[in-house]
Amino acid sequence: MYTIGKLALRVEVSADTVRYYEKEGLLAPAKKTDAGYRLYDADAVRRLRFIRQAQQCGFSLAEIRELLALKSSDAACCKDVRGVAINKKLQLEHKIRALQAMSQALTELIAVCDDEARPLDECPILAALDNSMARQMKGEGDA
Amino acid sequence: MLKVEVFSSPGCGKCAQAKAVLRAVAEELGPDKVAWREVNILAEIDYAVELGVMSSPAVAIDGQLVFSSLPSDGQLRAELGRRLG
Repeated sequence: MYTIGKLALRVEVSADTVRYYEKEGLLAPAKKTDAGYRLYDADAVRRLRFIRQAQQCGFSLAEIRELLALKSSDAACCKDVRGVAINKKLQLEHKIRALQAMSQALTELIAVCDDEARPLDECPILAALDNSMARQMKGEGDA
Repeated sequence: MLKVEVFSSPGCGKCAQAKAVLRAVAEELGPDKVAWREVNILAEIDYAVELGVMSSPAVAIDGQLVFSSLPSDGQLRAELGRRLG
């Protein structure tokens, strides 16, 4: 059995993270000591590693909860997990596109700035951001 | 002619059954009115993302995402009927 500190050390997370996962319903101690200290078994180590790995793949805690539920459900099959993974991939592809568009917009702004010696109040990057803010606010006002 | 595209992943048994029902709706209207295409979302993920597909399965009509999950046969029939006028 592991105390929360030992478990955290083993999976290289903080004890606060373990408590947070418990609060989010992702992980529970196998039992508590009479004094109320949490004790975890080897299954908790596997579960914690699973959560960290899934987070690194971009899954949110809610999605990880869904994956864990599928993992422990007798009725679920690999197709259910595959479906979750496909939907996650779609979301990531959307994000990649949005990031590419943002990066392109910044490339254009950087290209506009051709004189590093100019005073800041003539900065075309800040002016462009100001303008787009003004356009957005005008748009919201019109709506 | 309406172009109906159904995005799903191959091997999804649940989708296959539902798709067969929807395909029958398109076939009822006839190939001169509705062109039916089943899209493997994994093979055409760029196209799916372009249309705004955020989850699988989904249905696009004339290059526009209309159903973000599989509709019932009644819903598809109503949508196609509305578009055909």
